[in-house]
Amino acid sequence: MARTRALMIQIATGDPRPIGRQIVEAVRMKIATGELEPGDQLPSVRGLAQQLTVNPNTVAKAYAELTAEGWLESRQGLGLYVAPPRQRLSDAERARRLDEAVDRFVHEVVPLDYPPATIQARLLRALGALVPRKRA
Amino acid sequence: MSESEYVIETTALRKRYGRKWALDGLDLAIPRGRIHAIVGANGAGKSTLFRVLLGFTPPTAGSACILGRDSRCLTPADRGRIGFVNEEHTLPAWVRVEAVVRMQRRLYARWNEGAFAEVIGHYHVLPEQRVGQLSRGERAGLNLALALAQSPELLVLDEPTLGLDVVAKRAFLESLMYSSAAARCTVIYCSHQMEEIERVADNLVILEHGRLAHMSAPEDFCARVTHWVADVPFKGPQPAGVPGLLQLQRLDGLHHYLVLDQDETFGDFLRGCGARSVQCMPVSLDRAVNGFLAKNHAAPAAA
Repeated sequence: MARTRALMIQIATGDPRPIGRQIVEAVRMKIATGELEPGDQLPSVRGLAQQLTVNPNTVAKAYAELTAEGWLESRQGLGLYVAPPRQRLSDAERARRLDEAVDRFVHEVVPLDYPPATIQARLLRALGALVPRKRA
Repeated sequence: MSESEYVIETTALRKRYGRKWALDGLDLAIPRGRIHAIVGANGAGKSTLFRVLLGFTPPTAGSACILGRDSRCLTPADRGRIGFVNEEHTLPAWVRVEAVVRMQRRLYARWNEGAFAEVIGHYHVLPEQRVGQLSRGERAGLNLALALAQSPELLVLDEPTLGLDVVAKRAFLESLMYSSAAARCTVIYCSHQMEEIERVADNLVILEHGRLAHMSAPEDFCARVTHWVADVPFKGPQPAGVPGLLQLQRLDGLHHYLVLDQDETFGDFLRGCGARSVQCMPVSLDRAVNGFLAKNHAAPAAA
């Protein structure tokens, strides 16, 4: 039986992003970096609301948005869990976006006049930093 | 008992003090449930609204209903359904805490001892203390505990956290958001502290000059206001001609515009006025409300 994982996030008042948005983005980032893994249970609405001192309705709305986007899934009577990863874009759309991004990158980098090997090495290092962190 | 859809309903409500209209045709309908924050500049009519709603003072014109009852003829039973905490936390200074509690317990049929204990437990208040010996925060806590213990359907809080220290303030907000007694009632919360409103409010009501200026979820209000920075040579457009203008500042030769309800076409407007560069960004709730209220705020006549 999975136990609730601590959700180590912070919110800030006075930010242009509403608190609900801050929660959505923070949870997505935790999932994307692997700090939260599929099957992990999230804190209850009330629990997270108290942790952050915010209105429980704000947390409920954020969780609903994350569930609708497929990041979280609810298990009847048990609570919310990180959903198993699934592809969120069609293959064609993914390929198109990658082409676009590579194109933009090449255009920016060419005028800098580095040898291709240097650029490749830097790129690999940057991508390496994105690999999901192992849990302690 | 009537179960009206709105806890507060006013129609063309007006209240005059001498030459001044404190409420000037207020149409307000606040639905049952959740936490509603009311903001407004000083003198916008917030406290007058509460005085009229609770029947302390009659309206000059128009109507005011609270929990479906006419505010001018509330019965003691109606009043029992409404909890009220104001910024002064007014209880006679000489009375002992235990005596106040005994009296309230006798007065309110739906008195909930558990709710009282749940809230007062956050404060170091002794039964034998006199109200005058309590600190401001302790008095605020006592008042909130008393109000919640009456199991009200509607809880009205007029600047309840004014002057509280950070710990007392947090305890107060926690009682408000997570206590089981508060979960069952509609809360009307009047405050100037945007930081609190952002954490607490489901709904934001803005009063201006005794009228309703805006009502929506706080984040929706925030989305109406945007901050534009443009590099306009010379003086730029006349302020009166700038659509939706709330605030204008010239800083380091750049023009800063805080505007209401403007989309990308505002950028075109600025470019049309000769702007060489135009940038736009969202603002915080504090900035949005501040800009909105500043627009029509009293200011000394320009020299």
